[in-house]
Amino acid sequence: MQPITDNDLILYFYRDGLEKQRIDEIDDAMFASPPLRQRYMALKRMLTNVDGAAIEPDPEFTDRIWRKLASQIDAKPVHRMRRRVFTPVRFAMAASVLLAVAAGIGYYAGRTSAPQNAMASRVLDAYVADHLRATEGLLLTASNSNSSEVLAGNRELAQSLVQSNRLYALAAVRAGNTRLADFLRQLEPVLLDLANQPADASIQSMDGLRDYLRKTDLLFEVRATQARLDTADKHKI
Amino acid sequence: MATDEERWVQLARQGDREAFRCLVEAHARPLFVLCSRITRDAAMAEDAVQEALLNAYRHLADFDGRSSFKTWLHRIAVNAALEQIRRQGKFDYVENDSEEDSDFLERCMDETPSPRHHAQGEEIRRNIDRELERMTALERSAFLLRHVEGHSIDDISQTLSLNISACKQAIFRAVRKLRGALQPLR
Repeated sequence: MQPITDNDLILYFYRDGLEKQRIDEIDDAMFASPPLRQRYMALKRMLTNVDGAAIEPDPEFTDRIWRKLASQIDAKPVHRMRRRVFTPVRFAMAASVLLAVAAGIGYYAGRTSAPQNAMASRVLDAYVADHLRATEGLLLTASNSNSSEVLAGNRELAQSLVQSNRLYALAAVRAGNTRLADFLRQLEPVLLDLANQPADASIQSMDGLRDYLRKTDLLFEVRATQARLDTADKHKI
Repeated sequence: MATDEERWVQLARQGDREAFRCLVEAHARPLFVLCSRITRDAAMAEDAVQEALLNAYRHLADFDGRSSFKTWLHRIAVNAALEQIRRQGKFDYVENDSEEDSDFLERCMDETPSPRHHAQGEEIRRNIDRELERMTALERSAFLLRHVEGHSIDDISQTLSLNISACKQAIFRAVRKLRGALQPLR
């Protein structure tokens, strides 16, 4: 039997993340070994102490939240029955049309007056937010899937996103949004990496990418930027 | 037969404002508690709940019913809370996953808690609070979702966009850091 580590005991405590056979092994070992029981009791005591008081909201909290929400909802009604049809090919076709528009927006924003500029910037934000949503999906798939078919589809999507990413970065520069442009440029190496994964990419090469995504928090940055653009778009309306 | 919540969700998806209000009333306070545990700050938690509920409303069409509405909402709220932390510049990622700590339980395995330990309960709680503060947002979120909210590791990994192994590691690191809460009292 493999030695029982603290990590095993943590998963055992939650009865989650361990094979049934491993749980049975730990059960047996726990019965036979007083020191192991002591280690487990130490863990239980420690975790029991965490269940302390949380911050409770004040009595007006729900009303306050609803009042703000109601005004936001009235400003932007729900998208009813929105269909998600999102394949790499469709995305590439749509992207080519959108890119032409976005590039034009960047050019337009660089040459026009403040109100027109604000409008162009709002449209650009909306396009880039959609682009980041697609990028987020791509990164999530790359992080979590080992299926060769799914990864092949991901590669095609990455290839189309590389081009759009460059053009959106250019459009952002033209619109004077250097922060967004810089962020999009940061994305490019990862997109290129995914776009150029060989068809027989080894698990190790995908693991390298996964580690990179985890360590850099890139996914969270993509989401944060996307949320910021969505919020900016909402405030500008 | 559909529950009240399922009916509210169905109606809210069709744009029924009052149905969505019922959902807000049912979930806002538990969401606040969840977000405040992650952000450690009441104002940030309130902003996170506000943003989460608005996002939920705007993306109701994407809710496919595979998970419960509560789980779906929790996912959105956890990400909104993490986003608040990021906006405040408090988001940190510390990679300290060394194996040197792997037998830390061995070093804190007293027999049964002594009366002195019971008397020190308040101090332990304060220490735990401090250790929770010291965790990275990801570690704290993963740990609290597993320990307090009772979500499965599988579910948490989806919520936090981590693979299963990274999710487990985040929980392991969080538990190791909690060791510090008990150390001075042994």
